[in-house]
Amino acid sequence: MSLPRKRSRILQTTRKIGELIMTYFSKVSDAKSKGKPVAWVTVFTPVELLYALDIYPVAPEHFGALCSARGFIVDYLEEAERCGYSESLCSYSRCSLGYVLSGMNGIMPPPDILITFRNSCDVYVKWWQSLHMHLGTPLFVGETPYVLAPEDLDNYVLDYVVKQLEQLIEMAEERFGLRFDMEKLVEVLKLSDKASELWFETLKLRRFRPCPLGGRDSASDIFPLVVMQGTEEAVSFYEELLREVKGRVGREEGVIEDEKFRLLFDGIWIWHAFDLIKYFEDKGAVFVYEPYSEAWAYRLDASEPLESIARKILSMGLNVDIDIRIERFLENIKEYQIDGAVLFSNRSCKTWSATQLVTADILNKKVNVPYLLFEADMADPRQYSEAQIKNRIDAFIEVLSES
Amino acid sequence: MYLGIDAGASATKALIVDRKGKVVSYAIVPSGINFKVSSQKALEKVLKSSGLSLKEICYAVSTGYGRALVKAEAHSSEIICVSRGIHKLLPSVRTIIDVGGQDSKAIRINEHGRVLNFAMNDKCAAGTGRFLEVMSNLIGKPINELSRLHHKSSKPIRISSTCTVFAESEVISHISQGSKIEDVIAGLHQAIAGRIFNMSSRIGFEKDVAFTGGVAKNEGFVAALSKKTGLTPLLPEEPQTVCALGAALAAIRKYEESISHAHL
Repeated sequence: MSLPRKRSRILQTTRKIGELIMTYFSKVSDAKSKGKPVAWVTVFTPVELLYALDIYPVAPEHFGALCSARGFIVDYLEEAERCGYSESLCSYSRCSLGYVLSGMNGIMPPPDILITFRNSCDVYVKWWQSLHMHLGTPLFVGETPYVLAPEDLDNYVLDYVVKQLEQLIEMAEERFGLRFDMEKLVEVLKLSDKASELWFETLKLRRFRPCPLGGRDSASDIFPLVVMQGTEEAVSFYEELLREVKGRVGREEGVIEDEKFRLLFDGIWIWHAFDLIKYFEDKGAVFVYEPYSEAWAYRLDASEPLESIARKILSMGLNVDIDIRIERFLENIKEYQIDGAVLFSNRSCKTWSATQLVTADILNKKVNVPYLLFEADMADPRQYSEAQIKNRIDAFIEVLSES
Repeated sequence: MYLGIDAGASATKALIVDRKGKVVSYAIVPSGINFKVSSQKALEKVLKSSGLSLKEICYAVSTGYGRALVKAEAHSSEIICVSRGIHKLLPSVRTIIDVGGQDSKAIRINEHGRVLNFAMNDKCAAGTGRFLEVMSNLIGKPINELSRLHHKSSKPIRISSTCTVFAESEVISHISQGSKIEDVIAGLHQAIAGRIFNMSSRIGFEKDVAFTGGVAKNEGFVAALSKKTGLTPLLPEEPQTVCALGAALAAIRKYEESISHAHL
């Protein structure tokens, strides 16, 4: 006898994401065919700056998630592995390297410049160097020192990053004959800030019971913040989303009909096993808070454009000291009335997963929140054991029912 | 009478309790590749040994990997079942280390047998019964011989690979270099005990600690894990059926719930 399946609802606005992504990629391809430069960026690179320069960004990490979710990543992974990239490397990196090595016959147009900032992972630099090696495309590597205290966002650390942004502008101007326009940057920043404001406001509405926006929504809805920061399209998407979520709150309509458990998800989503979120929802458990969803938004101050961008890329969650992160974590457990936490230990993302045992310990001892820790890979479906993970989820739900 | 069926990765266990939760009879059969077949076999066997007929079973709960494939009124996870089972047998237990065919788990429970926290092995088989099965095939000694041979060892070898497949080639090279079979076996027990110790340390070892699961029947492994953890564990009389017992106890509760619902 299994639990009765609950109806769970995806937001209407979320359903538009697929089309938005496709439109976005074709827009970049069009721009490329008209001679505009395309940049391959790691996420948390200042795309606002690129838009102000008329450079079109795409993120191979996002491409990896997309390939994984749509079920065609394995060919790229295997191509990279055949060429000597180890299976234990990040699956996003293997995906884009495999894509490059197999001739780039997909929706992601070849790059004219490769840009990365070392703010969220150690793999970035070597990964971008490898892409540079295979493609011969110009490479820009930015350094972002680890933020140990809030003061770092206002001292020499900040100056250091601002200087690098200026270098990036200079490099782009020289390489592509572009003219950097500060006024345009200010406009882009305002749009980016607006999108972030709207997203934060939307996420806050998840504090309501029943929660109006679930994991399947939040996982999809971040896309415009990843590479479309600073565009009108992103702002209108988040306006529409906020309207819909407010409507749900007004009608007291939740993601699931009978909300029993409010969960926190820590980690990157498992793109190839997206249905797992539904598996939780069928058991009356809804994800109401994820550090991952929050990570994409940042309030920018258009009166200090470059400084503001520098603060944004420095403040990226994984570039911040663990004590600061834990403090935030604990606050949100209270604010969102979390009953349990799901910690996804990601084989690909050591930077994210390395701190999870510390987090687990705190959940256990400080706030007495039950947690589930399981291992898999965000994008590589070959490193995933469905029966074992569902078995753990079943046990976890039973533990939650008991507490 | 109430039935618990634990369709585990390696063995299927069927256990019958009476209304008070007292064990009437149990049966253990290999799971093979078809849980429907193995659970049917285990059921027939336990009915035969208890002299009961299927009609006398009021309610059945299944657990274990194959639980969804077993004919039963309800199913429950192994974590909950092992906890309920051990609480009935050894109420002082607060930490359970359960090592089965495909999974190893550490579970913390409170004084009422409720689960507080648990940790399980990642998807790798090293640190589970499967690891020992692979190795026993490799060295050509049946699994129930491992315990006896373990105690003959004076100088256990050190297995450094954490991967079952790599450990296999490590064992081959040790044997070809003349290591004694008993030292290899003791080394294997130490290796799996080491992995389980690391996993269990995440949730801590509040006393009393019990070892359960099929692998807890292997005294060599129990000795290695006791040494590694520095604990004197409590061992149920039949460690392999604790989970099935928990399922049978759940069957009593669920049956009573269904009766009271029916009267509402």
